[in-house]
Amino acid sequence: MEPLSKIPGGMRYYFGREARLRRAVETAAMSVFDGWGYEEIATPSVDYYALFERGMGHVEARRAFRFADTDGRLLALRPDITSSVARAAATLFANAPRPLRFCYAASVFRQLPHSRAEWRRQGRQLGCELIGAGGADADIEVLAIVAEVLGRLGLAGSCRVTLNHVGVFNGVAEQLGLSPEAREEMRQLVDARDAGALAAFLKALGSHDARAERAARLLRLSGGREIPGAAKKLLSNAGSRATLDELEKLLSAVETLGFGEGFSVDLSDVSGLGYYTGLVFKVYVEGAGARVGGGGRYDDLTANFGRREPAVGFVLDLDALTEVLARRDFETENGADAPATIAGKDVTERFREARRRREQGERIKMD
Amino acid sequence: MLTIAIAKGRMQQDTLALLARAGVRVSAEALASRRLAVEDESGGYRFVFVKPADVPVYVEHGIADCGVVGRDVLLEAEADLLQPLDLKINRCVIAVAARGDEDATTRAGVLHVATKYPRVAAAHFGAKGVPVEIIELSGSVELAPVLGLSDCIVDLVETGRTLAENGLAVVETITESTGRLVVNRASYQLKAEAVGKLIKDLGRVVAEGGAQS
Repeated sequence: MEPLSKIPGGMRYYFGREARLRRAVETAAMSVFDGWGYEEIATPSVDYYALFERGMGHVEARRAFRFADTDGRLLALRPDITSSVARAAATLFANAPRPLRFCYAASVFRQLPHSRAEWRRQGRQLGCELIGAGGADADIEVLAIVAEVLGRLGLAGSCRVTLNHVGVFNGVAEQLGLSPEAREEMRQLVDARDAGALAAFLKALGSHDARAERAARLLRLSGGREIPGAAKKLLSNAGSRATLDELEKLLSAVETLGFGEGFSVDLSDVSGLGYYTGLVFKVYVEGAGARVGGGGRYDDLTANFGRREPAVGFVLDLDALTEVLARRDFETENGADAPATIAGKDVTERFREARRRREQGERIKMD
Repeated sequence: MLTIAIAKGRMQQDTLALLARAGVRVSAEALASRRLAVEDESGGYRFVFVKPADVPVYVEHGIADCGVVGRDVLLEAEADLLQPLDLKINRCVIAVAARGDEDATTRAGVLHVATKYPRVAAAHFGAKGVPVEIIELSGSVELAPVLGLSDCIVDLVETGRTLAENGLAVVETITESTGRLVVNRASYQLKAEAVGKLIKDLGRVVAEGGAQS
């Protein structure tokens, strides 16, 4: 028999300073969300697997813990919150005025990690979903919220938020007339920043050298405000150019509003193309070996639940953020000082005094 | 400062030669020592020398920002890494090899495959619809068909000499492998300038003909 002392892989306890830190980070994020008028929503921890398969795509959903319901239908421990929020928007909130603003701090579970660096199988997501609002304003809003949370956590100077628009890659792929398989192959090469293999791939397609060279250069572009302009020079298809205009506007809005520090453009960010429909972004913080969050526009998701409407959202990874902050002397208000101890003979007196001092905000431990 | 994990052995020599041509020099004294972590003369880079299979692990965790390792290792590790540059060093192939006197891979039934590359082997035969039993070994794979442990092997072949000496011959090439520069996804963004410079400098040296010329 396995000893009871063993803990399943990817699971852990949190206590002491780390637990206080987690609570403080979660509270800080939720208070920012609240400040922007986002309503907290708690979704079911267990739901039908089909929901996540529709909501996340079958590749991502397969990572979930799965088990059967009493009637044999497949259930899953939620690997994601957005799917469930999107369903609620289309059903429970079908008649509520738009836009809907939801936020959450909720645990998600993944049986199979995405990479070996992603050790945890239980994570906690801090997220926002803005549903029923299209256009640049909504995109700017969620980016502003992300920037505000990072600022509140003291990470503004040591983070990088990379922006992209799925339309850039999609426009190029369309112009090249790629089959779904070839498109996926090209996506993987771009995602891996494998410039040599990408150039070879494009050449093998029979597209003439200049065009292949342009596409390869384009999809490698990353940097600051100059990128959309530089990219437009390499593009001839109208669809991609329009998305670059959008990206350019977004970037200049972000800078004008003063939270653009650490924002950049990365046209190679082509993950989640089957899911996102417009803006995509990723959040990186110094001290974390993987990204600590990401999001984007997902206008097609709600259609799965009978009502197509624009939506944009993001999640931040509480565990990753806490890990970074734990090494940075991030101050938590709760539990910073050790509690005072009250001793004495008379029980009634002791408890009375403790109550009085606790009401004044002290932490009191009974002897 | 960028931390770069380099696969020990031949990859290490070839990589340091490439870096030297790109203007990144490690003192002879540092290299002569048995230290597993050394800095270059400018202090801009720290190199750690680890076993090939550990390179993707260090880079994926972000302990090393970049790494240099063979494509064979990357295919097997299925690591979530960026691979911006083919360094074109340590050119080899991953191949199926069997005893020269009879090509056992055409035999009907289950094929027994001995290999250090279980994922690559399973994917290769899986795509062809050949049922296989993968026998994972950690070294001297060439012995397996000789002793009758397997029908064939999937292994890295550089010159083919070891194969020939054991009476084996390449039946089929699965893919090519060369040394690759790999980069952690977060470092690529957070240290964009330094990483970009390294890719550019190494890219220039590789385009000029690599470490040899």
